[in-house]
Amino acid sequence: MSLPQSLRTSVTPPELELIASEQLVEIIPLVSMERTAFISGAYGPLRPPTKCKIPLWMATNLKLKKKCHIVPPDWLNVEFLQERLARETSQPEFSQLPFRFAEVAKVLLDVASDDLQNPDKLRFLLKDLREARQAKSRDGLDKLDHSELSLPNLSSMEINEIRPFFVRSMGILTQLVREPSAGLADTS
Amino acid sequence: MDLDDDDSFFTRNVLGGNPAPRQPAAPAAQRRASPDPFQSGPDFDVWTANRDSEDTQGETPLQQLIRHWMNERHAPDILPVQQTLLSGLLDHIRRQSDTVQILRSDPSSSEEDHFRIMLVQTEIERVKFIVRSYVRTRLFKIEKYARYITTNADVQSRMSATEQQHATRHATLTDEHFFQSVLRSLPAPQRGLDEAPAFVPSIVTLPDKTRAVFVHARVDCPPVRLPDGTTLEMEKGHISLTPYAVVEQLVARGEVELV
Repeated sequence: MSLPQSLRTSVTPPELELIASEQLVEIIPLVSMERTAFISGAYGPLRPPTKCKIPLWMATNLKLKKKCHIVPPDWLNVEFLQERLARETSQPEFSQLPFRFAEVAKVLLDVASDDLQNPDKLRFLLKDLREARQAKSRDGLDKLDHSELSLPNLSSMEINEIRPFFVRSMGILTQLVREPSAGLADTS
Repeated sequence: MDLDDDDSFFTRNVLGGNPAPRQPAAPAAQRRASPDPFQSGPDFDVWTANRDSEDTQGETPLQQLIRHWMNERHAPDILPVQQTLLSGLLDHIRRQSDTVQILRSDPSSSEEDHFRIMLVQTEIERVKFIVRSYVRTRLFKIEKYARYITTNADVQSRMSATEQQHATRHATLTDEHFFQSVLRSLPAPQRGLDEAPAFVPSIVTLPDKTRAVFVHARVDCPPVRLPDGTTLEMEKGHISLTPYAVVEQLVARGEVELV
């Protein structure tokens, strides 16, 4: 079939990772390379040890070949996440985080944990954050009606996680609101 | 470019106050007598010029395609085909592959060149994946709604000529198959495939525009009317879950993206 069953209802996390990997990250190259034209733009030149911005997928590639160090984005450190977690657990709304923080954090923790300070602590914090936010989005189901639900600051991975359930719930609510006249006509 | 400034700053310090003249790509160009094929050429400049136009908001063609790909994946209806964008990217893929071929057959290419070739090829594969997934998503919807498409000029206007042909052929094929296998043994009044009886969903599969989608506002949007009668005005960056019908126009104008 043109689109496999598993891809019809929702996007998969690897696809989200692919999209997030187009984002630029800063690296410290260990090899030099001339400025090169790619489809998404021209990057380089790489001149160790001058910092340079390249897409995340390219940084991952270089990192796996030990040809660069990745400079973690300014939100991926213990202090920032600790502060966000404190805010997350004390306030009712979702705290502000980059839209694709989950994907970027996962890629960086997977391939470049030696470039991060205290990666284990970061993992714990991200997991705590995730759980705190998950609980909030479940509470948000309360407010669901058939017309609109605002979800400020929700990240792309979290949206993908709640999508099937929320979309179906809204579909059922829509039916309940729309159908009464048809239902009456049926029973009469 | 501040990166370049950093660079010369660094060279100056190391070389004891002698700003070294930087000639990127000069050695490579001399060695091959032709300009370095991977050097950012006029294409890139065209893109940077395009970036100023209001609709694309500084997006590269690839970013636009990713946005349209995601819209297509989430929207229940068939969205307008992005013919120019797609053919532009396909051309670019072809050019990059040609360059890779030339460089690979060149025995004088250095290890650094091989490394660049590898990176360029990796990117080609990534872009191909996205293009393929985009086309397949449309194909899936076209086959699903084939009968509806053949009777609806509005949807047809959103599709390319080949897509329309495919829809017509698919609809005819399935019709014939149904007729051969079942319908011809039924009484004539019950042979129709486009009945719309009351209180039952129509036989023809229609896109369910009431299905909820997650929208992310790319700009401040004009107010839209919600099913419960109130209006919603989304500011830039706002994320909302709402039926597709509500935001259909905003998606078509590119003011929101589906996430």
